[in-house]
Amino acid sequence: MKCEEIRAVMPDLASGLGEVTPAISGHLAGCAACAGKLEEFRKTMALLDEWQAPEPSPYFDVRLQARLREEMAKPQSAWMAWLRRPVLAAALSVLMAIGVGLFVREGGGGYQPANNMIANNDAIVQAEPGTAVGDLSALEKNNDLYSDFELLDDLQVQHDVGANP
Amino acid sequence: MDTRELEGEQLSPRNGVQSGVSTATMDGGILMASLGARPGAGLQPALAGAEGYTDAEVMLRVKSGDQAAFDFLVQKYRRPLVSFMYRMARNAAAAEDLAQEVFLRVYRSRQSYEASAKFTTWLYRIATNLAVNHARDTRRERPEVTISLDEPDQETGTTMDVRDSSMTAEENLVREERMAAIRRKVEALPERQRTAVIMHKYQQMDYRQIAEVLKLSESATKSLLFRAYESLREQLKEFV
Repeated sequence: MKCEEIRAVMPDLASGLGEVTPAISGHLAGCAACAGKLEEFRKTMALLDEWQAPEPSPYFDVRLQARLREEMAKPQSAWMAWLRRPVLAAALSVLMAIGVGLFVREGGGGYQPANNMIANNDAIVQAEPGTAVGDLSALEKNNDLYSDFELLDDLQVQHDVGANP
Repeated sequence: MDTRELEGEQLSPRNGVQSGVSTATMDGGILMASLGARPGAGLQPALAGAEGYTDAEVMLRVKSGDQAAFDFLVQKYRRPLVSFMYRMARNAAAAEDLAQEVFLRVYRSRQSYEASAKFTTWLYRIATNLAVNHARDTRRERPEVTISLDEPDQETGTTMDVRDSSMTAEENLVREERMAAIRRKVEALPERQRTAVIMHKYQQMDYRQIAEVLKLSESATKSLLFRAYESLREQLKEFV
């Protein structure tokens, strides 16, 4: 028997759950390392015995009864009962998969502007600078900027007025 | 499994004792106790009636609507489950809640129960999942673990009855310190090692059962347990 084999069963041997076969005894008699380890494991097991758990409280049964009563009083949801049937649940899954497939195929439901709006946007983008349409759209788009220029012009005039000749 | 036995009205034991489930239910099970009887007082007949049956067979009776068979399972596993949950959840009150939840889940799942797996494997798998989820959910809110043998539990008002009256106060103090250290070291193990140690050391489950609950191979379970105990041996050597 190899050391690895002894180690595999050492937790059971140390806790007294495993049977010490002649093969194990033979190995332990000739292997000080395994024998020493087993002894240490036994001491550790004895120490672990000290961690005790409390008994269930006297209220355990009462509380469980109350929870069971609630469980029994709860009306069985028809919807959930329907879902619990494997065939019907599978059918629902298939239907959902088909629905998702159709949804994705139709464009995923994302926002798509109408065709005429796309055409109008193209027209604006393609307006050549210098043409009437281009100038008007540039004026409209830059209205705020041009307003600021006018304000700056006024400031320049005031500055000139205040200047020492 | 002999289905004829299960189809009968009475849950009679194989040794021929004629104390059936129906009688047990009349004598008192959880439902009867809930109607006014002292808690647990009427549960013994159900237990006596189910002797000789495997847990899986009793569970099949629960599946067929036999309330006393469920009482039998509750009485058989309430103590092991509370102690398992206590060591997994680190709190006596939470341990009881979780153990009750295990029984409720067993009850809810009775219709889908198949006797293909061992009942205890199924039971402890439910319990382990619940306990691990609880431990994860409460990891941040959990205070430093201390055990007091003198002061009552804040939530239950009960005092842990683990003191040895033959010991002096000083000896009890040393023992308390050792217990707290053991608890801390076991809790500090990686989740799977901790669960395996608690099942092996405190629930007396064998390698195969632990392997089934944890969904591991038997050899992986042996290796897991060896590593866990080796780690505990190293960390607890000052107390040995």
